[in-house]
Amino acid sequence: MSVKAEQFPFPFTEDRYAYSNNSSLQKPARSVTMTDRYLEEIQLKRELLQANHQRCFRSLPLSLESQWEAMRRIFNELAENEPEHFSFEKRGNEYRFQNLLLGEEERFKYRDLSSIERQPLDIAGRHVQEDLIIMGDRHDGLFLEAGQLCFPSNWSLTFVLGMDFKSIHTPVPGITHKDFIGKVERFISRIRQNEAWERKNWSMTISNKLDTPLETYANWGKLRLQVTDENVGELVHLRVEVQRLLRLPLTNDILFTIHTYLLSLNDLIRNDLWLKRLYTTIQFLSDDIAEYKGIALYKNELMQFLEKTLSEKGISL
Amino acid sequence: MEDFYEVKVQEIKQLTPTIKSFTFISENTELPSFGAGSHITLHLPMGMRQYSLINNPLDMINEYEIAVKKTGHLESGSTYLHEDIYEGDVVKVSPPDNYFPLQMEGKHHVFFAAGIGITPFWSMMSYLRSLGESFELHYAVSGQDACPFYNEMNERYANQVTYYLMDRDSKTKKLKERLRELKVGTHVYICGPQSYMDFIVTYCRELGYPKKYIHEERFKARKLEHPTRFKVTIVNEKKTIQVNSNQSLLEALHDAGITIPSACRQGICGSCEVKVCNGEVLHNDTFLTANEKTDKMLTCVSRGKGHISIAVE
Ligand code: HEM
Ligand code: FES
Repeated sequence: MSVKAEQFPFPFTEDRYAYSNNSSLQKPARSVTMTDRYLEEIQLKRELLQANHQRCFRSLPLSLESQWEAMRRIFNELAENEPEHFSFEKRGNEYRFQNLLLGEEERFKYRDLSSIERQPLDIAGRHVQEDLIIMGDRHDGLFLEAGQLCFPSNWSLTFVLGMDFKSIHTPVPGITHKDFIGKVERFISRIRQNEAWERKNWSMTISNKLDTPLETYANWGKLRLQVTDENVGELVHLRVEVQRLLRLPLTNDILFTIHTYLLSLNDLIRNDLWLKRLYTTIQFLSDDIAEYKGIALYKNELMQFLEKTLSEKGISL
Repeated sequence: MEDFYEVKVQEIKQLTPTIKSFTFISENTELPSFGAGSHITLHLPMGMRQYSLINNPLDMINEYEIAVKKTGHLESGSTYLHEDIYEGDVVKVSPPDNYFPLQMEGKHHVFFAAGIGITPFWSMMSYLRSLGESFELHYAVSGQDACPFYNEMNERYANQVTYYLMDRDSKTKKLKERLRELKVGTHVYICGPQSYMDFIVTYCRELGYPKKYIHEERFKARKLEHPTRFKVTIVNEKKTIQVNSNQSLLEALHDAGITIPSACRQGICGSCEVKVCNGEVLHNDTFLTANEKTDKMLTCVSRGKGHISIAVE
């Protein structure tokens, strides 16, 4: 499911790519955004949740307070920022959220589990395009304590539930170099309440498939072998995750949201600067990262395509 | 969230002969919510002053409540609040920050408070009560009339509170007894005068109680209020530059053609670290550990005094 180029958050600000803390403070603090893919993506999410609930939603009991807080926060944000589509009313401890786009309504009593049929994060996630993760801020580090995850880029919620921040990142090559990931964790633990930070992560996906969990790798991973000189522009998509980290004030935990965007190379290369930046980034990408992101399998086709396009457009680097 | 809010003093209550509570509200903006253990920073004529919030975060509608003890200093923030602030006045506050959060994974929470150090616990206890969590309070206070919320405390927390109204030696003995009985999974929180906090922390250490289960409220300045200019020699670039009072070291380095990575520019991510070779540094970050501060600094917020020398990568 690709997005229009105007809504695509192109990730590269420089010509070389290296892991860095590329987070920036957001004002106002937002954890969710809508694009014009809203209806399609919500429908896909609902189907995935229906068919594979265990795979897409997991939680530990300790996360419940933060789930409540996250749900209230997200509904509030939606109503505040998109008042033509959503409303959120409070009477005493009773809340009513209306989603006019879907013609749905959620009513609940705050912190009263008997007033809801699913866990709060599992309700909230059905109204936003983002995947939602709760990272508990514990005395001994950050732990993944709940998540509604429909569109992961090759990872498994079941595998990381209850895991600490550093362990979650062990598959990433070079991530412990100079204690990079340790410093990122320290940074997250310093985020002040009500503040939101945003960063972009990127990868590549073959086809416009948003749901690429580790569990179904056998189905979608093999597509990487089907890339040819002819179909590369159509098949290969730049995958960008806009990630936000928000400190929930009441529970002091972190709400981590991931909004995934896909754009086919054919659409991407219409923008000369994007074309140039993507080319140099891939060119200088280290082998282990290219391997990790799954690009190694079709890197030659990809590079030839970008070089050819650059020369056709008469762009020099 | 704004950098600060103008709030109105809605109510002032005399809690004890020297302690008053203040309730601030905003009539036109929604004040940011907060977690138990948070404080707000008041912008007073004598500078920024931090006070713990005492209301239950779950019951907050749009108000902040603090309790302030008059310290007697003529120039102090507390004297100003006690003598020059009236209901209806408008004050500037920075949004709440939390350096003293509850550790919700705790099986049990034990609070040690002395004097006005009770304030963060007042909020924490009502929050934990709402959640049905287990806790207890050990409160050292000079006497019943010096104790804010005395009646409420006894009504609401009769089974949780132990008072320490006795002489110093008996107090120490009783505190030690309680500390010796701490069970695994219990988190300890301390707030009060320095000597009181040091006593408890030291004794916990003697007992070998895990450090990460002990939490102290220590207010620290978030911003240097009056930055001054200083000189920096960048040893490995053989350059000396001046950092003016209105710029950061990071900016001054950048202007001199020395670019170092940065991200948050708030002293919380560690990206802009440099090595300190010589000179006195005014650390202003919340990232580096005490040990790291001996030879590192974060250039986005920390400054030198006089003339310092650093090395960049
Ligand atoms: C707190 C919430 C976060 C969670 C739950 C999270 C989780 C993950 C997961 C599951 C992966 C994939 C690991 C795998 O391949 O199995 C990943 C990759 C990664 N994460 Fe995080 N992460 C978080 C925050 C951050 C932050 C704040 C940064 C950096 C500032 C970061 C940097 C990275 C990098 C560089 C990768 C490799 C991505 C790639 O090259 O494709 N993460 N993260
Ligand atoms: S830029 Fe983050 S600590 Fe300086």
